[in-house]
Amino acid sequence: MSADTAPRKLVLYVAGQTPKSLAAIANLQRICAEHLPGRYAVEVVDLKQQPHLAREHSIVAIPTLVRELPVPLKKIIGDLSDTHKVLVNLKVEGE
Amino acid sequence: MTAPSSPDASRNIAALAPGLSAEVAELRRRLDEAEDTLRAIRNGEVDALVMRDGVGEDVFTIGGDAESYRKFIEAMEPGAAAVDDAGRLLYANTALCNLIGAPLAALQGRALAECFDARAAADIAGLLAGPSNGRRSAEISLTAPPAAPASPPATDGARHFTVAAMPVRLGTVSGQAVTFTDLTERVRAEHAERAEQVAKAIIASANEAVLVCDRTGIITHANLAAAQLADGPLVGRDFDEAVPLGFPFGVGLMGGGDLLALAAAGGSIQGIEVIARAAPKVQDYLVSAAPLQIAPGQISGCVLTMVDLSARKAAEKQQLLLMRELDHRVKNTLALVLSISNRTLSIEDTLEGFQTAFTARIQALAATHTLLAQKSWSNLSLRDVLAAEIAPYADERSGRVKLVDVDVDLAPRAAIALGLIFHELATNAVKYGALSAATGQVTVQIAGRSPERDALRLVWSESGGPVVTGPRRHGFGRTVIARSLGYSPNGAADLAFPAAGVICTIDIPGEDLA
Repeated sequence: MSADTAPRKLVLYVAGQTPKSLAAIANLQRICAEHLPGRYAVEVVDLKQQPHLAREHSIVAIPTLVRELPVPLKKIIGDLSDTHKVLVNLKVEGE
Repeated sequence: MTAPSSPDASRNIAALAPGLSAEVAELRRRLDEAEDTLRAIRNGEVDALVMRDGVGEDVFTIGGDAESYRKFIEAMEPGAAAVDDAGRLLYANTALCNLIGAPLAALQGRALAECFDARAAADIAGLLAGPSNGRRSAEISLTAPPAAPASPPATDGARHFTVAAMPVRLGTVSGQAVTFTDLTERVRAEHAERAEQVAKAIIASANEAVLVCDRTGIITHANLAAAQLADGPLVGRDFDEAVPLGFPFGVGLMGGGDLLALAAAGGSIQGIEVIARAAPKVQDYLVSAAPLQIAPGQISGCVLTMVDLSARKAAEKQQLLLMRELDHRVKNTLALVLSISNRTLSIEDTLEGFQTAFTARIQALAATHTLLAQKSWSNLSLRDVLAAEIAPYADERSGRVKLVDVDVDLAPRAAIALGLIFHELATNAVKYGALSAATGQVTVQIAGRSPERDALRLVWSESGGPVVTGPRRHGFGRTVIARSLGYSPNGAADLAFPAAGVICTIDIPGEDLA
């Protein structure tokens, strides 16, 4: 499976409509639209509604973005306002 | 103590027990993640934490629960929102969501400015981008109507708001509290007040009497010119009672109340002559009535304008007088022309003689008429009449004619009569008298009051001409001279033929002297 066709998935953990959660959602939408159009499936998980889902990725701080696929799993903590940091962490081996 | 995660230590452990390598790597990854989490918390990059106890997970918001400020914002009557430093909407109350026309879920995370039309967006963006060291505000207008307007639009169709922004701390983030205070009602009231002032100014500055009545016929407005319609104040009184109207031309309306009823029903009445019976001075008016529409299809009363007709009535009377006078004068002139024609025809033996004499007499009449027309049929000076009739034969500059003390003003009828007399005297003098000889002279002078009648005596005397002998027959010229002033008992003209020269003594009626 090539790097281009490998499944890619991001999970953003937020806590309802806290300012950082809202900022993280907006920033992730912007980054995906501007830099990664169509390359990631994005899931937003509201831990206020479903706190038990924090267990899957051992989430402690919110907001946290998890790159679930491709492996290895990566976490970016914060509101994703640092676009460069986000892009560096999402960089896939071989790209 | 040596850090267990140092590279040297890891290599040593891996060398000692290869199976432990993966476990160490995992421990190191978790340590890095824990450090990353602590750093993020310390730097304020997160605002919630997941707490785990024996039962399960729970989410704890750092910096207080956002619900508290949301409840506060929701309770505010004006539209209110919390935005982060980038201007993104964190929360908006129901009033603001209604104003924008979208549910909160669709707005959160969006730039607040982008929720409005372009012009308002620019104003809001500028406001939020300004220095955040205090309260700032700006006024915006929204032209696009929201789904559920809190208040109807102002007269310009827009809704007006004061937008105020104030820096606030929201949990771990700094942001701004933004309020939208609806000014539409105030702007509309200001517009209405200005419109009212303009309307009042227009009514007040109108020359015509302007009255505004409500649907029940009570006068609500009256300008200064309307004060002449009745004694005392008009506002607050019933129109029909305060300004009772009569309709001289019987247009089928019974009274002013009918005018109001017609206008209140949407009809318009223009230019009806009325008599304002209670008006202390001017009573003739031209009245117009129109419905007072404060909104389309909504008639709240009527507007009456009343134009003072006194000047027009006076002009009509003057015109009628002038027409009668003109008719009278034309008839007189025609009678005179007919008389001249008949008498000339009875005297002259030939057609050529008739033509010459008749034409000259009509021209003499025309000369006086010309003078009268130039003076708009007002008084003429005796000197002008004399000059006009003698001019074809001689003038004062030649020394043949001498006019003494003839600066007297004459009524038109005397001017016409004297014009004919002077014409006959002048043509006679040219044919047979003083002006037929090279050295002859005519003197015309006022000789004081007539001893016989109320008249001013004027004497025409000729000298230096041929020896005068009395005429063999009584020609038309003598008739004209003798009779022209006969319209008044104070008028007369007597012709004498002494050998030295003709003398004509003329009494100008005193009533025709200005």
